[in-house]
Amino acid sequence: MNYGKRIFLWIVLFWIGSAQVFAEPFVQGGPIGSQTSDGYDALGPVVEQPIEFPHNTHAGRMQINCMYCHTYARRSNVSGIPRLDKCMGCHNLIEGVKDRPRIKKLFEYWENKQPIPWKKVHDLPDFVRFNHERHIQRFYFQEKRPVREVCGYCHGDIASMTTARRVKALSMGWCVSCHQKDHLEKAGSTVTSHGPNDCWLCHK
Amino acid sequence: MTMSNLDRRDFLKVLGISGAAATLAGCGHTSIESGVEEVMSYVHPQDFVVPGIGVFYASTCAQCGSGCGIMGKVREGRVLKLEGNPESGISGGKICGLGQAGVQAHYNPDRLRTPMYKGEGGLTPVSWETAHQILEQRLGPNSPLKGEEIAFLTGGVSGHQRVLLENFLETFDSTHHVTYDALSTATGRAASKAILGAEQPLWNIHKARLILSFGNDFLGSGVSPVYMARQYALFRKAPRGTLIQIEPRMTLTGGNADRWYPIKPGTEGILALGIAHDLLQHEEFSRGVPQEILDLVKNYDRDAVSDITGIGSDAVRLIAAQLWNNTPSLVIAGPSVEGHSYGFSNAAAVQLLNVILGNRGQTMEGQAEHPFPQLTPTLGSYHALADLNQKMAAGKTQALLVYGTNPVFTAPSHLPFAESLSNVPFKVAFVTHMDETAGHCDLVLPLLSALEDFGTHVAEYQPDGVEVMLQQPLMEKLYPESKGYGDILLEILKKRKPEAYAAFPDYYSYLKTAMVKAKPVFKVSDSDDHFWEDALRNGLVKWDGKPTSLEARLPALTMPKPAELTTDYPFYFVPSIRPDMRDGRHAYLPWLQESPETMTTVVWDSWVEIHPKTAEAMQIKEGDILQIQSATGSVRAKAYLFPGIQPDTVSMPLGQGHTQLGRFATGVGVNPYKILDPIFDDHTGELAMHATRVALRKTGEHQVVVKDEGPTTFQNGQKLVATLSADQAKLSKEI
Repeated sequence: MNYGKRIFLWIVLFWIGSAQVFAEPFVQGGPIGSQTSDGYDALGPVVEQPIEFPHNTHAGRMQINCMYCHTYARRSNVSGIPRLDKCMGCHNLIEGVKDRPRIKKLFEYWENKQPIPWKKVHDLPDFVRFNHERHIQRFYFQEKRPVREVCGYCHGDIASMTTARRVKALSMGWCVSCHQKDHLEKAGSTVTSHGPNDCWLCHK
Repeated sequence: MTMSNLDRRDFLKVLGISGAAATLAGCGHTSIESGVEEVMSYVHPQDFVVPGIGVFYASTCAQCGSGCGIMGKVREGRVLKLEGNPESGISGGKICGLGQAGVQAHYNPDRLRTPMYKGEGGLTPVSWETAHQILEQRLGPNSPLKGEEIAFLTGGVSGHQRVLLENFLETFDSTHHVTYDALSTATGRAASKAILGAEQPLWNIHKARLILSFGNDFLGSGVSPVYMARQYALFRKAPRGTLIQIEPRMTLTGGNADRWYPIKPGTEGILALGIAHDLLQHEEFSRGVPQEILDLVKNYDRDAVSDITGIGSDAVRLIAAQLWNNTPSLVIAGPSVEGHSYGFSNAAAVQLLNVILGNRGQTMEGQAEHPFPQLTPTLGSYHALADLNQKMAAGKTQALLVYGTNPVFTAPSHLPFAESLSNVPFKVAFVTHMDETAGHCDLVLPLLSALEDFGTHVAEYQPDGVEVMLQQPLMEKLYPESKGYGDILLEILKKRKPEAYAAFPDYYSYLKTAMVKAKPVFKVSDSDDHFWEDALRNGLVKWDGKPTSLEARLPALTMPKPAELTTDYPFYFVPSIRPDMRDGRHAYLPWLQESPETMTTVVWDSWVEIHPKTAEAMQIKEGDILQIQSATGSVRAKAYLFPGIQPDTVSMPLGQGHTQLGRFATGVGVNPYKILDPIFDDHTGELAMHATRVALRKTGEHQVVVKDEGPTTFQNGQKLVATLSADQAKLSKEI
């Protein structure tokens, strides 16, 4: 291989490498009250929940995979609020925290067989159909990126929050901006593609 | 801005803004929200439940009596859509438009949500506690009612709903269960019984090479349209079967036919005898035919038949020749044959062809005998209602319970059912929606929808052995104050006969016990619980019955010549049955109102169909409001020019003209039941629905007919699609 060809190959490789997303999953959309270029609030309001669920303990300190609890994210278009017996599966056995007020509240719901009335934090308009399964399968299972990063693209660094707060615009322009970027098709592959651009895919 | 200086551009701007505002207000939320809506988690769901992904549960469609097995798609605890259940021999995994609308019957905003009791100010909501008190006081253990003093008036009812109903009446020493069907086929069934020994034989449509249908809309509003449509698809596969339809007004089946002949209403039997006349010339067919029949058909040679029926003698010859050449064939009769004072003879003459052609055992068989005859459907008739009406008018009925029928709407005006109701001291209606009959009752009880209740059903037409269809809730009840029909009856029964019924906490446990008891008949070796769970999962239990053989009787027939039209009433009147509206019970479903009627594409309305040539002669244009006057009454409707009708006939669709059936039905169209003349079948006493004659009067008013079809119905005077009338076709070439 002559020198010129080798230089050319290096340039091509660099170009392919730079084409993949250097995602910034934990960067907040902007300060409170600021708007994205297409007019949406960059940061959502603080939402009060029936139980102040500490994501930071579970996903942060304990390093539990998001999908251990949000188990439907890889199978369905919604990630699903974890079923109550899932919480109890662990907390029945964790004696040390049973006297904490939040856990007491959890047991109260369980004993009354009442679902917890959580408030929706990431609630897209009714005419938008977002599919969790597609995104998780692509980025987590195919590209093998870390789960905290993959979920973080849209949800921010939940592992550093207690109850979730919206930190991304989730507007159409924001969705499209990511769909226009090139993404690797598989971990270790050099083939890239970007997200689909059909109206019908989300608006159906 | 006033209208004068509102130019087109401004107008469009305003339209755009208000349109957008309306859209935004009409939809759900339209921007990204946080902390507004709640999202409930499951507490302890079954493992297969995944939010966002539907689960299918089997049940049975209750929109008509065909008993199609259905699968309901349920997601997050809500039923979203119905599909056919592939396990069901009747539906075979398919479902019709009427069945699809079952979801809308369930979510309908006009559903009755609380019991109502008639006080001084009319019907007012009461609690279930009060309703039960009233029921106990009138029908409880201390009730003095006996025998015919109590009557249970229903539409067709089958399965354990029927068993429970009859057990309920039994506690009053009564068998007074009255089944009324506004579209009764009792005359046709009686004729079939007289000739073939079976009221409803099985039609092996797929085995027939030729079907000759006299006004039977088996693809649209017949006995089991989903099953028939599936059979019809097989019939049309190579070698392709031929369908000939003869009727005064084109039905959906007529629209699918290879040949369609408009016949003068009431002359179908004569045409059948004319065809028989041609066939019986040949020894192959005349062998074994009694002399009375041979004598009878002698009078009906082609020319005589052609004169009476309005169908060319060439066509009569063609039909006979087609029957000769294509065996096995199948000849069936429908409502337009039965609905005359001599409807029985008319239908019998049509059935006669089957015997002459030797179709028994080929394309016609008897249904398998049902192992549980007490579960088979009760089939309604008009004369049952007329008898009840007489008893009510004479003050013999002290308590009346009404379920699944609406006679105040469907009874003709010469049967004053609403007036007779006022003679009955205690009337209870079991309804999901307030209808005209419930409006006249003292106590109206809100039922669960068909997608919320348990039940078993047995179809009138059992094509594939015998199936007991199970109906199970596809979701929790929408309205806490609604109750199941079985549960209400059971609650009264528990008080009247505690020794037999106290063990059942609800209708579900009654059903389960009854079905499990029947297990040995179904030859299942599973445990009781497995048997029941399998039944629920499959939506049905099958019993492998074999078709029975039919008899052939050829009784002497008399065929009167239909009376000529008079100058007072110069038109035959044909009330047409819409595959979706049926007798009008479905008019509250906007999907069905919105879906174009199959032949005319008209929506949300009543109309009168008139032949274009007749209209031209009378100078009637589409949309002209006509008064349709019979000897009994009159209605007003828009004219619709329809080439698929016999020129001396006008036709109106049944089902519209409600005064009380929710916001989508009330005030839409007119009710043609009310102008039917009091003419009855001589043999069965059924109302002759096709025997009314009418006069048309122009009112001078005009309105647009709202319809889906474009302006090219009549091809704008151009030959876009070449057509040829049946009489002009070179028939000899086809034989």
